[in-house]
Amino acid sequence: MKSYLFVLLSFFMALPQWANASYVDLQSGSLMGMVHASYGDSFFDNHHLSAGMGYVPKLDNHAEMTLFSLRYRYQNPYRFDFNVEGHDFQFSPVNFGTSLLYGNHSDLFLELPDQYPKGYYKPTALRIIFNYQSILHISDKTEVYFDISILDVGLITYVREPEFFMDNYDYLGLEGITNWGFGLRRHF
Amino acid sequence: MKKLIFLFFVITLAGCEYELSPWETDAHCPGVSVEENLARLAAFEAANGKPDSYRVAIIGDPQQYPGAFEDTIKHINTLENVHFTLLVGDLAETGIKAEFEWMCKAMSKSNIPIIPVIGNHDSISFGKDIWLDVFGPYDFSFTYFNTRFVAYNDNQYEFGKAPDREWLTDEAQRPAEDGQPIEHIIGVSHVPPWDDNEGFDAHMSDSGYELTIHGHESSFDYWEREDVGLPHYITTQNRDPGFGMLTVYAGADMPLQVDNCTRDCLITTSRVVAIPSPQ
Repeated sequence: MKSYLFVLLSFFMALPQWANASYVDLQSGSLMGMVHASYGDSFFDNHHLSAGMGYVPKLDNHAEMTLFSLRYRYQNPYRFDFNVEGHDFQFSPVNFGTSLLYGNHSDLFLELPDQYPKGYYKPTALRIIFNYQSILHISDKTEVYFDISILDVGLITYVREPEFFMDNYDYLGLEGITNWGFGLRRHF
Repeated sequence: MKKLIFLFFVITLAGCEYELSPWETDAHCPGVSVEENLARLAAFEAANGKPDSYRVAIIGDPQQYPGAFEDTIKHINTLENVHFTLLVGDLAETGIKAEFEWMCKAMSKSNIPIIPVIGNHDSISFGKDIWLDVFGPYDFSFTYFNTRFVAYNDNQYEFGKAPDREWLTDEAQRPAEDGQPIEHIIGVSHVPPWDDNEGFDAHMSDSGYELTIHGHESSFDYWEREDVGLPHYITTQNRDPGFGMLTVYAGADMPLQVDNCTRDCLITTSRVVAIPSPQ
């Protein structure tokens, strides 16, 4: 946890030197928590880095948990314009990213607890998430997005055994490994 | 173009789930619980006379390879005289909901009951909660055509003091509900007996167990301690590919037999479990 905070702090101290636009991001779902707030910057126009914190309250199907993330997103410059009842919008259909997600809970671990022999398990608190976003630009500074994510183990298993997923799930088997969420981003 | 975008969103929304995090616990796994599968087995037993012999498939450690697991299940469907499958743990690798759901999808292809016991990998993250919700108890026993199967949790790193020796004895010595004599007693768990669990084999043997069945080691094995003589059969990881096969013959004076099967069960190494001498 301490090392995570150190990385996070270093990240934000380094930001002003090479960033060219800052933003805040609020997301729900897509494996990032009921709500996940991030602060990030854009680099070289199309590359985005952010760090954030999420939360899931205690639910029937989920323990109360805080989440921390480091996220990268590549935003394809292609956009197309359209107009709805006199209001101009832009749509970015193809954007990809990846996130490092840390779940903070006593049942999860980053370092192997003492009772286990060395190397018995990989960390259970740290996951990698791959995601796709479609972004609707409402104005120059505000955008909403739809996010589809795939967990590390989902991608690995799909690549290993695509036939299993294609036989058992719809949409080329992607139904079995994808999750969705949505969010709002506001640029400064 | 607007219609295309709308269509895209409809398709993706229909095809995905709204998941709060990787650590949700409400796995969608209809029809795979121990209770439901034991009810199916009991119904089959009630509808059929006692056979001269029957077989039990033993699948272990299918984690990370649901496709190979499904292939094995479909193959077992084609084999004759296999009455049920013992699934000796480690369905999941990291104990998350999605992994259990893929395995449940594969299990739904089985034509015969599948009786699962919890593995150590099933017990990490929030896997213990998912297991209780999806499959039911960690420890349970059932009797099938006069053979008592005792499934027990021995994942001691994850559960502390396990297994419960007193419970194991009680389940072995509990009379059959129909009053018929118990001909064989077989223990089933994920991890083979731990080296540091002193006196465990003697305790099991003294309680009447003839054989224990396990997974965890990812290769076929069969061993017993020289001073006790209680055999332990270990099946390989499913993706090897392989699975074990137990044959139970009617009668307390008939031996048990275990075989190592490759995917199509052509190559086997057969072991006949010696009949314990009267104490």
